Amino acid sequence: MTHPAPGPADPFDPPGVTWDRVSPRLIPARLVVVGIWLGLPLVVTVLLAVLVTPWLWIATAALVVLLAWVGVLVPRQVRAIGYAERDDDLLIRSGILFRELVVVPYGRMQFVDVTAGPLDRRLNIAKVQLHTASASTDAEIPGLTPDEAERLRDRLTARGEARLAGL
Amino acid sequence: MHPITPVVRGWAVIAVLLFVVGQQLAEGVEYADAVVDGVAQVWWIVVVLVVVLLAVIFGVSALAWRMTSYAVDDDAAHLRRGILFRQQRHARLDRLQAVDVRQPLLARLFGLAELTLEVAGGSDSGVVIGFLRLDDAKQLRAELLARAAGVKARRTDGRTVGVADGGTAGPSAAYATADGDAAPVTAELAEPAQEAPENLVYEVPPGRLVVSLLRLPAVWIALAVLVGLVVFVAATQAVGVLFSMLPVALGVGTFLFNRFAGEFGFRAAISPDGIRLRHGLLETRAQTIPPGRVQALELTQGLWWRGKDWWRITVNVAGYGSEDQNGTQNVLLPVGPRSEALAALWLVLPDLGADELTELLDEGLAGDSRTDRFFTTSPRRARLLDPLSWRRNGFAVADRALLLRGGRLTRRLSVVPHERTQSLGLEQGPWQRGRGLATFAVHSTPGPVTTRSHHLDAPDAVHLLSEQAVRARTARAHQVPERWMERVAPLARSRPTDGDAEETP
Repeated sequence: MTHPAPGPADPFDPPGVTWDRVSPRLIPARLVVVGIWLGLPLVVTVLLAVLVTPWLWIATAALVVLLAWVGVLVPRQVRAIGYAERDDDLLIRSGILFRELVVVPYGRMQFVDVTAGPLDRRLNIAKVQLHTASASTDAEIPGLTPDEAERLRDRLTARGEARLAGL
Repeated sequence: MHPITPVVRGWAVIAVLLFVVGQQLAEGVEYADAVVDGVAQVWWIVVVLVVVLLAVIFGVSALAWRMTSYAVDDDAAHLRRGILFRQQRHARLDRLQAVDVRQPLLARLFGLAELTLEVAGGSDSGVVIGFLRLDDAKQLRAELLARAAGVKARRTDGRTVGVADGGTAGPSAAYATADGDAAPVTAELAEPAQEAPENLVYEVPPGRLVVSLLRLPAVWIALAVLVGLVVFVAATQAVGVLFSMLPVALGVGTFLFNRFAGEFGFRAAISPDGIRLRHGLLETRAQTIPPGRVQALELTQGLWWRGKDWWRITVNVAGYGSEDQNGTQNVLLPVGPRSEALAALWLVLPDLGADELTELLDEGLAGDSRTDRFFTTSPRRARLLDPLSWRRNGFAVADRALLLRGGRLTRRLSVVPHERTQSLGLEQGPWQRGRGLATFAVHSTPGPVTTRSHHLDAPDAVHLLSEQAVRARTARAHQVPERWMERVAPLARSRPTDGDAEETP
């Protein structure tokens, strides 16, 4: 496989790679989690603002702004997640402001995790995570449909076995 | 295992207890009088408590010793242990990453040693066998390494293999000693595996170690604080302030002492089994890292070591992780001049695969973008993001390894062999994006080595990423097999004077 020299284009978009997207159902899944984390303090500040001092409306406003920002950010973040299976390695990219691209060779995979929390199961999505011998390999693909997650898992392990190497 | 084991193990527990109690006392010096008074009144209760505690500790240790057993066969080491929760562990020998023989102070008095087989499985994944008599431990180590090296597997081919016949040791015979024709072995490995001969490559004299420690910034900062404090106390007569500094002084002192004691008498040698490291003042440790088991290494030079051109080398070995707090396990060279540092590098990577090796390494160690010939450095645009070391940030590619350079005050050069690359990463933050920069990272097994190169020109980084993926794949396809001796022995026979036979593709 040859890699033509990349032009001045986007460094996170290597030529000749078609990206697979994750399920849009990841957006509500993430929004619910963030909503809980920000919503509870929001309720508390509203209560305190009513009961104790009106100054706390400032904190409430800040939380509302944060919530609105997250509401805009999360869908974009989810759309930015992409993965691509190449012949010998898997590419995963993510992030808008802080972007990341990880290249994991199949022969380096030690094990593959498929996880789904209660919310994920309800929304019918799952997360696939690849582990190498390195702790710093941060290769996870959230928001896959269970079928796709299973297919990816089997495919990755099959390819990993075919290209197995020691450490 | 040796019957004195419970005494040694029990003592270790007591030492930890004493240390914790001592630390508490040191932090609460003001209350010491009250405590002493209190203890004096009920001394017999304290005595009874101590006796009971000792009995429990030694009792548990003795029981644990009774319940622990080990066995070694051709493919794996087996360990059984545990009192309430029984545990059986099988470690495959072809996955062996390193073998350590450790002798804590008390064990040394009894002539005992503890053997640790490291396999790559995160912390606490190793097989700890101990305590054994030192000779037995060495014997076991030789046997484990011989079996991990695939000596048995060759034997089943109907060929004769001897492990490291001691008589043939010569200055250039490091690998040639694997030549087994002289020592036929019958099907049962009748002769016990002998300790492989070794050739000393370098050692660190205590004087140099002391001077190097005195040149650490931590010492100077601590001294400056101390002097300032003494002046302050002399001026204000407030002696109490001194006590508040006690924990800090203790911390620095402990750090220095641990480093000194851990790296005292450091010797590195090469043998057919791999790299042998031996060090320690009170507790000695002899490490054996088989060929090709070093995942990455890093040469560093602090600001105050520059005058002497001293370097320190740390390595990533799968299984060592970073569980050792003092980090002495991951040290390949505590302190040494450039020539020794290069010798240490040669130990790990006999052949970097570069034509102008000296020039390349000199540039990696001390050069920057103004004099670069081999290294690709951050562009000038990176100046704002990294005003200090943008000239140093960079990478160079040799045939067999990737070199990452960085750091201006503390100079740093990381070397990652292509076939040891785990995965690759590319990162870009908003500021970098505006300037067309990106950070490139090689992911290695857990350890102290920094394996990222900051603020590269984005096209350079992308190019490196795709090229490196291909190079790592090609190198992996040619990599040394798990049972390295199967490969070394024939090569060593054909080229008996070649010290780097195991790296020949």
